[in-house]
Amino acid sequence: MQRSLTLRAGALSLIILALALFGWQIAVSGVGKTEAMDPEYAALMGETATTGKSAMPGPLDVGATIWKHLKDPFYDRGPNDKGIGIQLAYSIGRVALGYGLAVLVAIPVGFLIGMSPLMSRALDPFIQIMKPVSPLAWMPLALYTIKDSSLSAIFVIFICALWPMLINTVFGVSSTRKEWLNVARTLEVGPVRRAFTVILPAAAPTILTGMRISIGIAWLVIVAAEMLVGGTGIGYFVWNEWNNLSITDVITSILVIGLVGMVLDQLLARAQALVTFPE
Amino acid sequence: MALFDNPFGTPRRLRGGCSCGGHADQATHEAALPSGDAAITQAVEATMMRALFPYAAERRAFLRSVGLATAAAAVNQFLPTRFVAEAFAEAGKPEKTDLKVGFIPITCATPIIMAKPMGFYEKQGLNVDVVKTAGWAVVRDKTLNKEYDAAHMLAPMPLALTLGLGSNPVPFAVPAIENVNGQAICLANKHKDNRDPKNWKGFKLAIPFDYSNHNYLLRYYLAEHGIDPDTDVQLRLVPPPEMVANLRADNIDGFLAPDNLVQRAVYDGVGFIHILSKEIWDGHPCCSFSVAQDTIREMPNATAALLRAVLQATAYASKPENRKEIAAAIAPANYLNQPVTVVEQVLTGTYADGLGSVKKDPKRIAFDPFPYESFAIWTLTQMKRWGQIKGDIDYAAVARQVYRATDAAKLMRQDGMTPPETTTKTFVVMGKTFDPSKPKEYLESFAIKRAS
Amino acid sequence: MSTLLPFARQARPVAETRRTTSSDKFISIEGIARRYPAPGGKQTTIFENLWLPVRRGEFVCMIGHSGCGKTTVLNILAGLEAPSEGVVIVDGQAIAGTSLDRAVIFQGHALLPWRSVLGNVAYAVSSRWRKAKRAEVEARARKAIATVGLAGSEHKRPSELSGGMKQRVGIARALSIEPKILLMDEPFSALDALTRGTLQDEVRRICVETGQTVFMITHDVDEAIYLADRIVLMTNGPEAKVAEIVENPLPKDRDRTQLHHAPGYYALRNHLIDFLVTRSRTLRDAMPEGYDPMHPPVVRPSLSEADAAAITAEKPALRA
Repeated sequence: MQRSLTLRAGALSLIILALALFGWQIAVSGVGKTEAMDPEYAALMGETATTGKSAMPGPLDVGATIWKHLKDPFYDRGPNDKGIGIQLAYSIGRVALGYGLAVLVAIPVGFLIGMSPLMSRALDPFIQIMKPVSPLAWMPLALYTIKDSSLSAIFVIFICALWPMLINTVFGVSSTRKEWLNVARTLEVGPVRRAFTVILPAAAPTILTGMRISIGIAWLVIVAAEMLVGGTGIGYFVWNEWNNLSITDVITSILVIGLVGMVLDQLLARAQALVTFPE
Repeated sequence: MALFDNPFGTPRRLRGGCSCGGHADQATHEAALPSGDAAITQAVEATMMRALFPYAAERRAFLRSVGLATAAAAVNQFLPTRFVAEAFAEAGKPEKTDLKVGFIPITCATPIIMAKPMGFYEKQGLNVDVVKTAGWAVVRDKTLNKEYDAAHMLAPMPLALTLGLGSNPVPFAVPAIENVNGQAICLANKHKDNRDPKNWKGFKLAIPFDYSNHNYLLRYYLAEHGIDPDTDVQLRLVPPPEMVANLRADNIDGFLAPDNLVQRAVYDGVGFIHILSKEIWDGHPCCSFSVAQDTIREMPNATAALLRAVLQATAYASKPENRKEIAAAIAPANYLNQPVTVVEQVLTGTYADGLGSVKKDPKRIAFDPFPYESFAIWTLTQMKRWGQIKGDIDYAAVARQVYRATDAAKLMRQDGMTPPETTTKTFVVMGKTFDPSKPKEYLESFAIKRAS
Repeated sequence: MSTLLPFARQARPVAETRRTTSSDKFISIEGIARRYPAPGGKQTTIFENLWLPVRRGEFVCMIGHSGCGKTTVLNILAGLEAPSEGVVIVDGQAIAGTSLDRAVIFQGHALLPWRSVLGNVAYAVSSRWRKAKRAEVEARARKAIATVGLAGSEHKRPSELSGGMKQRVGIARALSIEPKILLMDEPFSALDALTRGTLQDEVRRICVETGQTVFMITHDVDEAIYLADRIVLMTNGPEAKVAEIVENPLPKDRDRTQLHHAPGYYALRNHLIDFLVTRSRTLRDAMPEGYDPMHPPVVRPSLSEADAAAITAEKPALRA
């Protein structure tokens, strides 16, 4: 019964997808009104102007573009034109670096803050103000102070990934059940051992939730940051294709960005499942 | 004007009895000689005086004409001292050969871009990466941060940077202009029958950057037709690729932008060419090749080599017969990332105007590297006119410090090119002659302006 | 029926109250108080000047209504809270903080949910014997688990266990560190009656076998009667006092199912219930003349007069 439900749900998903693609293709395959042009003039114009072809690409165009990128993901034709695989690698590398740094800072600092009610109260307003700041608002400041666009992008990821993890770590640590702490106290467990054997496992699910929020943000931010500073990365790729008004490539990159984001999220979801304990 | 403070401390008599002119005789001079860094600076200054004015008679005439304090200040302007003939004349080995030059993907950057695929940088022994950049502010910041050794900037940007408009003041130099003309006012198709600017009240028009001749030309054009650009229309800063998309989405009524974008709007059937920018001012500078002055000081040879490559590429690009080849070289994704036919229409001047006819204007875009100081002076008058510069300004001094006409002329001569005879020239903007020696009067002659 | 001989109800004067000698004060609570700041700069006193001796190997239950500070007393004994005044002396030494010598069985079992049964007990064992090898830790943990009858469930997670089993793990954890004193805070209150009974049997068996000193909080009168050697009655809070210490007259060798047949059972039970129903309140308001908080009265309840009358009235009928 369960299996047949899964099967039916899968089949339904496929049907919905097929219908959506079909509808999309129909919607863009219409030909608009065109005026008669003399051939010399027409030669200088694009298809939208000459044949009335929709400016919006259809699923077939996008499919062809995806295939084109998949066929050769790692080409390198100079500093401004690299394959989508290379661009993704740049972006993932930056996210890994900025996010990794944020983990290294947020978890220990969150731990210290969470263990002290005084500190958590005192720092809370600062964290609350910093948290909702848009990633791109950090960008000019980062560029101005760090004076390196690549490092700035990493910094922006760091600063944006930091807060959810910090807040969740503080919350997870400070809401460790009193009775678990009392167990550790009656067993004369020292502070370091207590941190690792009681507080960390108790707070781990909350911390992982924060990490999962953060990776989502980091991935959102890298695309935006790379669009801004350019150079390399999937964000630059989108910008470069947007610059060329190539909607087909933009849609392709949207799919790729979504896919990678999903994979990153799922990785952390797995990690989260590992540390979550039923009560 | 802290920028032009005299670092000499006390005004110095340059015609005294000693080598520096500050002392009664050489002995007193030597007794007063500073040591360490100060000594080096003074030595450099002395060299510079000699380099600027190799002939004693000329030097004396200069000092007589401008007075001592002004002379010191004038020399100070050239403090990136070795960026003068002697540094370039020796054609020394570049201090470093791996260089990065930033550009914005528009046809104005043609010389800077094409120098890469067509081997002009290589010929100078340089390994240059031309790096596509997302916007003017980013180009500015990356150049300030020394991520780029030099960059393609809008011609007014180095002036703004040097004066500290919109950023901290950092002295920049324009050793070469990239292109003249090559911009256009593009309007949405719905305005095909509304061609008189007098009826444009309430228009939303896009420009690429505050410190751009696009801004100043559009404002000039509107003001000449009685439209106050600050109150009668909305001028919006829009990144170039978004201009066409915004035009399609009907968010803006038009824009004044580089021709490849204008042509792209025509190509995609969303807009038409109202006028080319050359119809406002034929021969106006648009973009510049810009270097920070301290970069020049740190690596004069590399900068000179870079500049030579750009000058030669510009010279090559200025010949109409080369334009098709250039279009093919710079259209791919690594550079402009535009359909070849769009780039070709811009560079060859045979283009569709969006109104159904094919126009031919070989001077639609031209490449002329010479950074006339009068260009800078005109730009400064417009910066002041629209309130970007507040207070008084020494037009000529700023222009000379940033637009390096003399240096460009020297290099051009070395490379067998023929530079213009003078570093300034008069020109006509919408029928009105601009005399670079009378910027104040020029500014006062406008009815619509923000400057008091 | 002769075994049901009534105890003479001896309302002994204070002077005659049996005194504990210093030699059998294994735990001595000496004049502790607990106060909390209250709004308006005042202080709420939960209890003050509280004295209580506990002998080695004795099972003491404390009974009282909610708010009388029972749990606070236990926490102070555990070292989890510090008294506002006074000291607690254990085995000749004033306590300062928690100690592995005093194991706590928490009301809500307090198992670490991310650890298995074995892991929870082993955590305690490895805290007690820091240098012990893994194998030794595991062996001790397994032994403790077997003691509470959970052998075979070592690798289950707390979430897979029933409430009773969880509390068994809590007991195993406490026992595994071989404490000098076992402190229990209403350990069975969350369990169903059947499970509670079984666990009470287990606890009694283990404590009798090991001669464990136990201080337990409960508000279940039957539990106290079954388990305790002495029952401490607290008046209502705030400013709760030890009203009296009731000595359990029932023989050490008890059977839970037969308990209500034991002589003196009803007298004891009635005495306790009377206390909880009325005297815990009246005594708070006015302690009897000559009450000395340092030496609360010790009571051995006997048959009430009504009981005695009923029994004597029954005898002739039987004989007839």
